[in-house]
Amino acid sequence: MKRRDFLRGVGAVGTASALSAPAFLTTVSRAAAQGTDIPVGLLFSLTGAVAVVESTLHDAALMAIEEINAAGGVHGRQLRPIIEDPASDPATYADRARRLMIRDKCVSVFGSYTSASRQAVLPVTEQRKNLYWYPTLYEGRECSLNVMYGGAVPNQQQDELIPWAIENFGPRFYMIGNNYVYPKEENNYCKTLLEKHGGEVVHEEYVPLGHSDFSSVINRIRAEEPDVIFATVVGDSDVAFARQYHAAELDPAKMPVISLTRSEVEVKAIGGEAAAGHFSSAPYFMGTQTPENERFVESYKSRYGADQVTHFVSEAAYFQVYQFKAALEKLDPANITPETIRDAAVGLTLNAPQGEVLIDENLHTHLWPKIGQWQANGQAEVMLESQNRVAPLPYAAYEGQRCTGEGLVQG
Amino acid sequence: MTTKLFYDLFALAVFAVVIVVGVPFLMGFDGFELNTFARYLALGIVSLALALSWGSAGLLNLGQAATFGMGSYAMAMHLKLKASGDALPDFMGWNNVPELPLIWIPFHSLGFTLLAGLLVPAFVGGLIAMFMFRARIAGVFVAIITLAFLVAFQLVVIEQQGITGGQNGLTGLAPLSLLGWSVDTYDVSFYYLVAGCLMAAITVGLYLTHSKFGLILRAIREDADRTRFFGYNVANYQTVIFCISAALAGWAGMLYTLVLEFASPTYMSVSFSLAIVIWCAVGGRDSVIAAAIGAIIVNLLEGRLSDVFVEGWNLMLGVIFVLVVMFIPRGLHGLIGDLWKALNNQSHKQRANEAEPKLQPQPVKSGQEK
Amino acid sequence: MDVILNQIFAGLSMASILLMIALGLAIIYGAMGVINLAHGEFVMLGAYAAWALQTYAGFSIIVALPFVFLAVASVGWIIERVIVQRLYHRPLDTILATWGIGIVLQQLVRLFVGAESRFVKGPEILSGNIEIGGLIMSNYRIFVIVFSLAILAASWALMTRTEFGMKLRAVIQNRQISECYGIEAKHIYSITFAYGAGLAGIAGALITPLFSTIPTMGTGLVVDAFLVVIVGGLGSLLGAATASVLIGEATALFSMLLNDTLGRIAVLAGIIVLIRFRPKGLFPSNTRR
Repeated sequence: MKRRDFLRGVGAVGTASALSAPAFLTTVSRAAAQGTDIPVGLLFSLTGAVAVVESTLHDAALMAIEEINAAGGVHGRQLRPIIEDPASDPATYADRARRLMIRDKCVSVFGSYTSASRQAVLPVTEQRKNLYWYPTLYEGRECSLNVMYGGAVPNQQQDELIPWAIENFGPRFYMIGNNYVYPKEENNYCKTLLEKHGGEVVHEEYVPLGHSDFSSVINRIRAEEPDVIFATVVGDSDVAFARQYHAAELDPAKMPVISLTRSEVEVKAIGGEAAAGHFSSAPYFMGTQTPENERFVESYKSRYGADQVTHFVSEAAYFQVYQFKAALEKLDPANITPETIRDAAVGLTLNAPQGEVLIDENLHTHLWPKIGQWQANGQAEVMLESQNRVAPLPYAAYEGQRCTGEGLVQG
Repeated sequence: MTTKLFYDLFALAVFAVVIVVGVPFLMGFDGFELNTFARYLALGIVSLALALSWGSAGLLNLGQAATFGMGSYAMAMHLKLKASGDALPDFMGWNNVPELPLIWIPFHSLGFTLLAGLLVPAFVGGLIAMFMFRARIAGVFVAIITLAFLVAFQLVVIEQQGITGGQNGLTGLAPLSLLGWSVDTYDVSFYYLVAGCLMAAITVGLYLTHSKFGLILRAIREDADRTRFFGYNVANYQTVIFCISAALAGWAGMLYTLVLEFASPTYMSVSFSLAIVIWCAVGGRDSVIAAAIGAIIVNLLEGRLSDVFVEGWNLMLGVIFVLVVMFIPRGLHGLIGDLWKALNNQSHKQRANEAEPKLQPQPVKSGQEK
Repeated sequence: MDVILNQIFAGLSMASILLMIALGLAIIYGAMGVINLAHGEFVMLGAYAAWALQTYAGFSIIVALPFVFLAVASVGWIIERVIVQRLYHRPLDTILATWGIGIVLQQLVRLFVGAESRFVKGPEILSGNIEIGGLIMSNYRIFVIVFSLAILAASWALMTRTEFGMKLRAVIQNRQISECYGIEAKHIYSITFAYGAGLAGIAGALITPLFSTIPTMGTGLVVDAFLVVIVGGLGSLLGAATASVLIGEATALFSMLLNDTLGRIAVLAGIIVLIRFRPKGLFPSNTRR
């Protein structure tokens, strides 16, 4: 009977070594080098909680890649998308980013919606001097030389919004957000603007991510009677908030929710009726009237279904691929590395669906802020459109700090 | 030296050869592949830690991720301080924290950090264990209490943004320097550091399960009341194994931070904690080596499946897991044991050697009525 | 004062949702000792069933309820037959297996319906509020409260006033002896599991107008529902109801005094202490175990 135990031990080890056979262990290397195509990584969650939004970013970016390939690629070379699913988990983002940047030798990776996932990818991006294209609006205060920021930073979303909101609805703001750095930073910046324009904060509160019962929040809003609900609630929390706000019959004409995060995706889930009358500030809405946008919306719908929507993050996910392509075109085909791509991208202008966007030397993007009011059909009507393209100031809330092409500069 | 111990040591030796020589050789001593593998090894330690409390003592700790997270944050705090130099860590500025919180100050010292990464989880694990086991809480209730603790603990970590970095965790860490050696996570030496830690953890686990202490734990698992009648203080034994398991989880957490270069509150999520249980169940909770191998195999499989089936890998993992629980409840370790037994019976049918006492007591089939 | 009244109503509303989700769980746990971690996914399936019926057949949620119940109950029945039935003698393993089932259900929905959030319209007749002085109550939330009480009553009647309920109680008391009397325990278990799953489905359908319908919506709900069941006491319906009200009101109270995050932490801490001192829950069943 001793032998049984012997085999148990050996067997356990045996399995391990059998499974560690080279074919299984070392990867079916999809790494570059062999072909003439250009490997690019797509790192958007297709499963898990963030997949609701990230799958649309994935779709938009992939569509851009395939459009470029159909049109003949870059320098006659095809872009080869390498798709990974980080499953909404930061540790998995870090792991998959390593694969894309080190093993698959991607010259750029497109990915992420949440700040947490971007920061998980950051160490490997910077260490490997790769280039991470991040399409999402975010809280600013970051100045990496290895990230291309395609979304709005606080000054781009709020500079026009806050005075407009005070003028139209009143000075008393109720701040509600999810409990993490993005809402807190947006609110920090909002407070400096409120001070400047004579507004005030009547209440500021944060609910856990994924929070779904807003009864208490709505009771408080009812008691405080603010003029504006300034919302930085994200994802399905925002959907639940909007639906319960509507069910409680709070009137958008008197107490509108002005959101920095609500887009066509959320509105589709909220339902047009419950979303109608509230506002969002964003550089892009699906109804934006430019030839580029008509093309974008049309091909997106014909590809993924007529009921699909585009929104301000998927728009950026889309145009960033074209920015990437434009940068590649400026380069000598023999000298394509993440760093040369970055240097070529700085100063690039591109006719994006929202209008002509420009990549700043701080690697953020100059955008066209708009304020939209949601209608019962799920689309936004643009109430105010910025006259000028607005430059990104990731450190706007902090005097004496500036993000430049050399990185963060103090004083 | 008992025979069982001898064979376990033999298995350890073979495992060590595979990990120390085989794997690096197969991967051509490539820093990246080994970095990925180092992550699996670190997860192997936390799976092994669970096997100690679940396999040996029958205490299903669904809060293992909490103690793992404590270790992970301890290491991250040290590295964050190192990265920040004399300045305040950046996220504290974002949260309007004026000066370094008291709790952070001792983490300037590496020695303190390493101790804290082991002792803080052990202490917290001990508190929970005392709280539960003094009241003779057992079975499903242990699982529920530890689960509730995990949920609450994760909420606290996310809520205390000024101290913990909240949802984003601690990022932007400096590399560790250990006795003048700066740890490069993409270097072969780092892989050997993690592999060495895993071997050490297995050795500790084997020592415990083969000691008299381990025997008493198994007795408690099978029948706590009877063990109590023999005069053993059941609660104390359970508390001690809970502490050790927590400390090992903290150790794994420290390594995990080194591998991934950040600490995140998702390390303390319910789904991560249940994933640990899955690894342990797949490998086989009766053996610490098997539990570690279970973690390595599942993660390796996850890595490969997600490469080949981008859309459906989560589904496949779920199916595999349900099948494992249904058909091989004692994991690969149990499966191999059973196979060998079947083979053995075939070839030695005439030799009735059933007189031999079973070294591995079978789980008591408790029916509906208990 | 108005704030307090409104918070009490908010607490009741949360309690009613918790109760609906927990009820099915309590019945399954009480009858067979199975910790069903896939319960949240049954809730999710109910929500998606309501969505499908509304989108493709034009049913309003209330009309759809019986169909949702049947649909999710049949999924529960199949799962019980194929998987759970084999694990009754291993209660800890059911935790693991049902967690795996949850992952599978979630991924199946994601693959076939998509990851995006789905919109389900609330019933027209129940929009609006009732106002009594400063107390403002949403009609839909009142409906959910009343409905949850109705389900509670129906389940209680099923357990105590029908032949099926009698058989189930007999099997819970002593499976072998009941089988000797010709009761098919296996059959009883399958139906009970299906009934519990069906209740979860109804809960899912009813919360869709308030929450967001996505494949992962169940994961967060199941932990809370579990705590309700454990606090309430093994399989006690009255216990589950009391625990729901306690937890709902405590959450509302702490959320008013502190904030939603701290409120949740305080409630969890309270639950841990309660389980420690009353591991059998508020209303322990004294018939067995």
